[in-house]
Amino acid sequence: MSWNGWRRVRQSVQILFFAFYIYLIFAVVQQRVAPPLASPNIFFRLDPLSAIGAMLASRQWIPKLGLALATIGLTIIIGRVWCGWICPLGSLLEWVSFRKARKRAVSISPRWRLVKYFLLATSLAAALFGGLTLLVLDPIAIFTRTLTTAILPAIFYAVNSIETALYHLNFLIPVLDGFEGLVRGTVLPVEQPAFTQSLAIAALFFGLIALNLLAHRFWCRYLCPLGALLGLLSKVSLFRPLIGSACTECTRCAIVCKPGAVDTTPANFHIMPSECTVCLDCLVNCKPADISFKFSLKPAPRQEFDLSRRQALGALTTGAAGVLLLGTDLRLRQDNPWRIRPPGVTDEDTFLSACLRCSQCMKICPTAALQPALTEAGLAGLWTPLVVPRVGYCDYGCTACGQVCPSGAIPRLPLEEKRLAVIGKASIDHNRCLPWASGVPCIVCEEMCPTPQKSIRLEEAQVVDSSGQTSTVQRPSVLRDLCIGCGICEHDCPLEGVAAIRVYNA
Amino acid sequence: MKRRPPISRRTFLKLTATVAAGAALAGCTPKQNSSLPTETAATGATPTVLPSATAGVIATETTPAETTPAGPNPTETASNPEPSPTTGPAYLAVTHGPDPARLTRAAIDALGGMASFVSSGFDVIIKPNICTDYHPPEYASTTNPIVVGTLVSMCLEAGAKRVRVMDYPFGGTPQSAYEISGIAQAVEAAGGEMHIMSRPKYTRVDIPQGKDLTKVEIYPDILEADLLINVPIAKHHGSTRLTLGCKNLMGVILDRNLMHTNLSQRIADLTSLVRPALTVVDAVRILTNHGPTGGDLADVKQLDTVIASRDIVAADSYATTLFGLTGADIGYIPASAELGLGTMDLSNINIQEINLG
Repeated sequence: MSWNGWRRVRQSVQILFFAFYIYLIFAVVQQRVAPPLASPNIFFRLDPLSAIGAMLASRQWIPKLGLALATIGLTIIIGRVWCGWICPLGSLLEWVSFRKARKRAVSISPRWRLVKYFLLATSLAAALFGGLTLLVLDPIAIFTRTLTTAILPAIFYAVNSIETALYHLNFLIPVLDGFEGLVRGTVLPVEQPAFTQSLAIAALFFGLIALNLLAHRFWCRYLCPLGALLGLLSKVSLFRPLIGSACTECTRCAIVCKPGAVDTTPANFHIMPSECTVCLDCLVNCKPADISFKFSLKPAPRQEFDLSRRQALGALTTGAAGVLLLGTDLRLRQDNPWRIRPPGVTDEDTFLSACLRCSQCMKICPTAALQPALTEAGLAGLWTPLVVPRVGYCDYGCTACGQVCPSGAIPRLPLEEKRLAVIGKASIDHNRCLPWASGVPCIVCEEMCPTPQKSIRLEEAQVVDSSGQTSTVQRPSVLRDLCIGCGICEHDCPLEGVAAIRVYNA
Repeated sequence: MKRRPPISRRTFLKLTATVAAGAALAGCTPKQNSSLPTETAATGATPTVLPSATAGVIATETTPAETTPAGPNPTETASNPEPSPTTGPAYLAVTHGPDPARLTRAAIDALGGMASFVSSGFDVIIKPNICTDYHPPEYASTTNPIVVGTLVSMCLEAGAKRVRVMDYPFGGTPQSAYEISGIAQAVEAAGGEMHIMSRPKYTRVDIPQGKDLTKVEIYPDILEADLLINVPIAKHHGSTRLTLGCKNLMGVILDRNLMHTNLSQRIADLTSLVRPALTVVDAVRILTNHGPTGGDLADVKQLDTVIASRDIVAADSYATTLFGLTGADIGYIPASAELGLGTMDLSNINIQEINLG
């Protein structure tokens, strides 16, 4: 096959992987069951940055993430195939291209590429000391988190709003009913999800895309820590693009190269394997047709943007210092009552050193109970999942978050065990609870309580209302030993504003 | 080089404006408020016997006594529910026996057969109680799937064009609750379809007879169906003591929080709007404690019983006796009777008890 044919293959593979990624995103929208075909977290399991980070931080071999070895192996054979063929964020950044970006890129010093290596070194150093906070910058995590918390809810909101408006037109009702029958409950969730901080998360994502105005694949060139990791591995890849002796230094290859991987310095005209995303554009465009993938055992030469020993030590120190600073944040060290973790999570430090910040649990949670944390666990826990019962309760019949978690930070529990996993304890504010404070009958918390013996007991009491009438109401009390903190009582408490029954971290 | 856009900005804006104006005009056509109960009753009453609904709408508010369901005879609007002669179709049927499918068939047959409810081409909705996705049917927190499946079959046999089954669970998603309850499998095997009540479709309607609840956001199909069959399971409930037919109707509205103050009256008000033409109470297994969610088999009692009636109040009232109570003990039953939605007094109605041993 010609190089042009291979380029077509690459483009098709890229589209297929992107489509597969989007399929997985939609396939697990608020559903308890894993979709057909692969496991929904396959992209995270292939991601070596997440895998190495989580294994370093939790100091254990995580078999599920062992799949990342496949990506590492592939990279050692032919370089950053992941970036040019597989990574969905990379594909998106490749497709969003601006005409002036090439000109602007020329004025950006290649030295800026060291930012990504610095980020990588800092991330891994932090992971070594147990901190995974920087995984918020993993490209798959960024894309998934943005889709989960911002883009999907916005799409659902748009569809729901349009449908609500169109349902007023009688002649459209059969059409809308047909559409609903096809997609509701499968592609569209029944409940409209909403997430805190969706704006900040979306801003990061669209900011990264906007950086493409400055250079093609700006993120991949200068910032991506996963790209940096794969770049380092590519320095020793067995096959790499080599320019032959027929080269006239016409720089056509440099012009077409999206990630800017061609070093055009005269006398050192070559393609930098660490920056090359194996897109094959240069091979197709080479006039003398003298670029090809060749076997080589010699490590690639040092670049000016590779970390010096001093810079590497600096990154290491930054990572360590960051972990120490974040780890002594009072908000992390004190027992924050609102830091309610998904079912099965017992120890906060263990959880933080295994959670990939990937937000898959938030995506699959059928009630959107799982929300990205801001500072509930200090900045160390940024965008880790929290149960926010007033937003959504933990469904007594569901184990989805544990099933979908790529690293096992949320343990995969069988339903019987998950039903006993205590995520918090409910407690009632007698000053606000309707029957306690106002003598108004209400038993919603008891009604909703899913535990077989009911963790809320009702006791009859005589009350005198504002007009002096005596009546009997049932007053709820929490049976602490039975309560698992699922939060459906808080979620459905009919009191306006803050619920009169709340779940606290236990 | 400057690329020419496929259409000019002006043409684009013109097109947009035309389409928008067209849409606005279309939107201005007066919407037939097909969700009003009047129309439901009118369409429903033509082909089949729907005594209570017809009478109820004509006599709104003025003479609640006249709205008492009068058995299968639509002309009968006596102020006291006149018991039909024991030879005719039953006012209320109770069947006992080990096979839920036979129980269901026998109970409906005693009321005059499904053909007295379903005409050819009917669009039928069955509303079971699928409150959560927590437990399989053995735990008696959701309606028995065989009872629901049998009703679907009977409707289709009687000529229904389509039978949809729906509920809006408060615990878990509809998809998972439909599946765990076993109802999805039973309904699909019988040829019916599980339907998800989607939020964009809910419509705000008035409740003309409502004493306390006068407006509610409801799933309109419930009001528009040719036949609505209400299939609650008889089970314990913390505040109302029991959840039965009237209480089961809470599943068709969106905002259940608004129900919880003055619950009994509001359930009655909602019943006056929804008015299922047939109520089948599943008491194959009943949940005697820790309802409505359940989860402990020790709270489940196997009664092998099905109750059916056109009169939702009578069906509920009879079902209370299975728990050693009377209709008067369950707030929404007298409240519904007061609104003229049915008779609570079981002493002078034609009850047929059938033993299928």
